[in-house]
Amino acid sequence: MKKYAFFTGGCQSLTAIQYLHQSGQLACVVLVDAQPTPDLMQLQHWLQQSGIKTLAYNLSDDTDLLSQLDSLAVNRGLIYLFRHKVRPALIQYFSGHLVNIHPSPLPDYRGPFPLYWQLRNGEDKTKLTLHQVTELLDCGDIATDLEIEIHPFDTISCVQYKVAQALPELVAKYCQLDEKQGITWHKQDEKSDKTAPQVEQQQLIVNWHKQTSKQVVNMARAGNADAGCALFQFRQEMFQLLQASVVESPLIGVQAGTVIEVDRHTGLVIKTINGALRLDVIGTQQGVFDGYRFAVLFGLEAGFTLNN
Amino acid sequence: MEAQHLQVTSGLSFAEPEVDALLKHSVRTQLESLLTQKLTVEQRVQQLQQSFVDATTLVLSDTETQHQVLVKAFDAMYDQAVQSMALAGLSQALLTRQYVSASGLIMSPHNCKHTIKDVYRIKGYARGIDQAIQSKLKHVSSITVLYPACGPFAPLLLPLLSYYKDSQKFTGQQIQVILADVHPGAILALTQLVKDLQLDEYILCIEEVDATEYKPKESIDLLVLEAMQHGFTKEGQLSIAKHLVQFLKIDGWMIPQNISVRGMMVIGETEFNQQWKEVEYSHSLNTDTDAQRDRVELGELMSINKSTLLNMQELELQDGVKVIQASQVTLPVDVDDMDKRILAVYAHIDTFAQEGVGQYDSGITHPRPDMTFYIDTKPRDVEHTHFVANSGDTVQFYYQLTGLPGFVPVKV
Ligand SMILES: C[S@@+](CC[C@H](N)C(=O)[O-])C[C@H]1O[C@@H](n2cnc3c(N)ncnc32)[C@H](O)[C@@H]1O
Repeated sequence: MKKYAFFTGGCQSLTAIQYLHQSGQLACVVLVDAQPTPDLMQLQHWLQQSGIKTLAYNLSDDTDLLSQLDSLAVNRGLIYLFRHKVRPALIQYFSGHLVNIHPSPLPDYRGPFPLYWQLRNGEDKTKLTLHQVTELLDCGDIATDLEIEIHPFDTISCVQYKVAQALPELVAKYCQLDEKQGITWHKQDEKSDKTAPQVEQQQLIVNWHKQTSKQVVNMARAGNADAGCALFQFRQEMFQLLQASVVESPLIGVQAGTVIEVDRHTGLVIKTINGALRLDVIGTQQGVFDGYRFAVLFGLEAGFTLNN
Repeated sequence: MEAQHLQVTSGLSFAEPEVDALLKHSVRTQLESLLTQKLTVEQRVQQLQQSFVDATTLVLSDTETQHQVLVKAFDAMYDQAVQSMALAGLSQALLTRQYVSASGLIMSPHNCKHTIKDVYRIKGYARGIDQAIQSKLKHVSSITVLYPACGPFAPLLLPLLSYYKDSQKFTGQQIQVILADVHPGAILALTQLVKDLQLDEYILCIEEVDATEYKPKESIDLLVLEAMQHGFTKEGQLSIAKHLVQFLKIDGWMIPQNISVRGMMVIGETEFNQQWKEVEYSHSLNTDTDAQRDRVELGELMSINKSTLLNMQELELQDGVKVIQASQVTLPVDVDDMDKRILAVYAHIDTFAQEGVGQYDSGITHPRPDMTFYIDTKPRDVEHTHFVANSGDTVQFYYQLTGLPGFVPVKV
C-alpha cells in the first residue's frame, strides 16, 4: 500500500493532491510553517474542507515531521512548488521514494524560475519532469515525464494553468509504474546551457540596444502578469509591458528604442535592433492601456527614443 | 463659382460640428467661443480671414510691433485656424497618426497645428517671401510657388496670401501655389482652410505626396520650405530640398535662401538657463552678452542653399544609410572647462534678402543640446551611441539623411 505525503506551497498543486486523495493514496499534505500567503491560506482552507490532514514543515528541524510521517505510515513523498530545499534526513526517510516534479525538460532550466525562463526564451514546448530528490537540486534521476505544448500567445499564467491540468496525468503515470514496480530511473545529463535562476530586477527592463523584437515579446508574456513583469523606461518612470507583437519594418537609420509610429490602428511601434515591435498592452499607475492610447495620453511622440 | 460655394457651405450647420473627442479636448476654448458666438458661416469665415490678414499686416509692417501684440494676433489666427480644422472632420486616426518615414519624421496634424503660433518663424518667412514675390513679379507676370511639407495650415503662405487678397496687392493670376503634404490628415485640414479663407484662386493644387519623391509638372519660381526641428534634426528638410531644388527654374529661388547650421560647446546651465532668467521671451535680440561670450564656437557644420544642394554628394554606408559629408572641425585645445561643456547645434535661417530666423527666434532655430557628444570626459554608461573625443582632435561631421536625420560625428 502506497501512502503519500505531498509537499507543497500553493494552490497550483491542487489537481495533483486531489488525484492522490481520490485514489486513496494520500496520507497528508506538508506545508511550510511560515508567513501564510493568500494562496497558501486558500490551499489550507480547501484541505481542511476536504478533511485532508496537514503537517507543518519546520524550517530548522525534521524530527517532529519524521515521527508524524512514520505514525501515518507514509512511504512515498511527492514535492511540487515547495521552494525549500529538503534536508538529508527527510530524503533518507523515503529511501529513494521522494520525488519532485519540475516543470522543464531537465536538465534544462534547473532553478527556481523554470517556466519564466522557458517562455522568455521562446520555447514552444515544455515537460513536466518527475525525478528523484537528491541533495543536489533538480539533479536526481528521472522516472517519467509529460510533454506540454506552449502556445505562442501563452503567458506565464496560461502555462501555469496547463501545468496544473497536466499534473494528475503525470502523477497517475508514476503511481502506475510504481505499482507494477516498473520504474526505470534515467540519469540526467550533468550540464545544460539553459538555466532558470532567480530573475534580477535589471533583467526585467527592456534593453533596446541588445534585445530583438522576439525577445521583448517573450519577455513581456513571460512576465504577464507576475512579479517578473517586463518594464520599460520613459521620462524617469517605469511602465509595465504586458504584451507586445513583432512587426516588420524596412526602416533604417533609426536607433533601436525609437518610436517609429503612433497610429490608432497600427498602434505604438518601436524600432528594435532587428525590425520593430508593437507595444500592445502597457500597465501604468493610472491603469492599463493599449499602446496608442498610452502614447497619446503620456505624450510619447514618434521620433522619441526610449532609453534603457 | 465663389458665390455658389458660399451658398453650399452656409447650408451646413456649424453649431454643433462633429469633432473628434481628442481634438475637442485640446481646442475646447476655441470651440466654445464658436458655439457661444452663434456665428453664421459667413461671419466665422470673415473672422478667420481677418485674423490672417491682421497677423500678416503686423509682421509685414516696418514699424516695430510689441511682442505681446504679435503674440495676441497670432493666437487669434491659431484660434480661428483650429476652428476650421475642427470643421474639416478629421477622424481621430488621421488627426493623431505620426510616424518616421524613410527620410524623416512625419508629425501628426494634431501636433502640427501649433506652428501657426510661431510668431518669429512666420515673420521671418513671410517678410522674405513677400520680398521675393515682389521682386519676381517685377519681371514676369505670374509665378509658380511650391510649398512642400506645408502641414495642415501652410502657415508660411496662407496668411500672406490672405493679406494679398485683402489688400489686392497680388492676384491669383500672378501667384499660383502648389501645396504638398504626405499626411492625408494635413491635406484634409488644409483643403478646409483654403476653402474657408477663400484662397482658391491662388491655389494651383493641393497634393498628397511625399515631397522627397514629388515631381511637379510645372517648373518652380519659388520653393518655400520649412521641415526641420531644432539642431536641424528629425524632419526631412535636407532630403526634400535636395530633391525639389532640381525643379526650380534656372533663376528660381529657394526660401530660405540659406540655412547655416553651426556647432558650439556650451555650459548648459549658462546657455539654456541663466541667459534667459531676466528676459520676457527668448529671441536672438534678447541673448545675453556674457553667455554669448562664454560659448566656444566650433564653426559652421553645413550650409544649405541652392548651390550647395545642387553639388551635394550622397554617400551610402554599408547598412544602406545615406549621409552627406559636412564640415571638419578641430576641437580647440585652450579651453580648460571643455569637459564640462556640451555640444549644441543651432541653425540660422536666411529666408530672403535681409530677412531671416535667428537662433532662439523659433523652435526650429533653438540650439539643440547633444548629450551623446563628449570631449575630454567619458559618458557615465558606455553606449554605442556615444561619441568620445579629446581637445585637439579633428572631427568630421556627416549629416544622416535616412530615417531620423541629424549630424553624426566621426573622429578623423
Ligand atoms: C511641422 S508640420 C508643418 C510645417 C510647416 N512648414 C510650418 O512651418 O508649420 C510638418 C508637416 O510636414 C509634413 N512632411 C514632413 N515630411 C514630409 C515629406 N517628406 N513629404 C511631404 N510632407 C512631409 C508632415 O506631414 C507635416 O504635416
